[in-house]
Amino acid sequence: MKKYKADIIVTLKKGVRDPQGTAVDMVLKRTGLAENAEVQVGKFFTLSVSGNNESDARNKLNKICEDVLSNPVLESYEVERFLEV
Amino acid sequence: MIKAGVIVFPGTNCDIDTKRACEFFGWETNFIWHDETSLDKYDVVFLPGGFSYGDYIRAGRLARFSPVVMALNDYVAKKRGFLIGICNGFQILCEAKLLPGILSVNDNTQFICEEADLLFEDKEITLPIAHGEGRFIVDEKTLSEIKAKKMNFLKYKNNPNGSIEDIAGLWDRENNIIGMMPHPERAIFAETGNTDGRVFFEMLSMSLRGEALASTWQSIKCGT
Repeated sequence: MKKYKADIIVTLKKGVRDPQGTAVDMVLKRTGLAENAEVQVGKFFTLSVSGNNESDARNKLNKICEDVLSNPVLESYEVERFLEV
Repeated sequence: MIKAGVIVFPGTNCDIDTKRACEFFGWETNFIWHDETSLDKYDVVFLPGGFSYGDYIRAGRLARFSPVVMALNDYVAKKRGFLIGICNGFQILCEAKLLPGILSVNDNTQFICEEADLLFEDKEITLPIAHGEGRFIVDEKTLSEIKAKKMNFLKYKNNPNGSIEDIAGLWDRENNIIGMMPHPERAIFAETGNTDGRVFFEMLSMSLRGEALASTWQSIKCGT
């Protein structure tokens, strides 16, 4: 079995209103730090996953992301880092 | 006698209120711990409000993997009785796909704790709401199914959280599943200053006794 470390970012799908992102956007505008920063607020996860090979481990990771870490109805996820340890 | 069960997860906090409300109507009521695997003895099962599993990841996301929620699928498939999710319970029902759609962060990003004016079918009632993730979201196709099946039985009069079509609660009439963000169990006793929640429990009582809702609906009084 090989072990991998993965980082996952979950955000709201395009088209789903993100009130937290809008709130941060407004603060950035008010403080003069940025205009139309298009902030999206999401969640970050880091975890270990094992598998016989990389594709086996990636399949397990995708199932974890779809079943537990995100809700496919309104969220999408991206695997930001996937490294053998 | 009607037998009610109130499911308790780590982080549930409306379990006692819900049990007291059931007992006010003379129902024999038990708490059900989240590792229970059979619910057959209950005529009505409540998923009460609170913060199951700390609302970690998303509200209701982790609770749906607990043994008792697996048992709920069986309870519903058998059409054994009514399944009611209030607030966090509604979020769990949506996460578990027992009801369509999903509940996300309120439009104003705030936790809203106030009395909400509602339309319960065609009746005007007021019930407390207390949630941070109550904005009901659903795709167009599912929304038209919801409307065709008349599932949107409870609506906000002054939409506080940005829910699509002012939806505050859903009722799957085929499978006897009800999910709602407002808290009827907090509006039962006169001491709380609001008894509009009784209408909801009285409706359930009548359904559970097998009385036709249409003929008796008008006889239910809102408040006292």
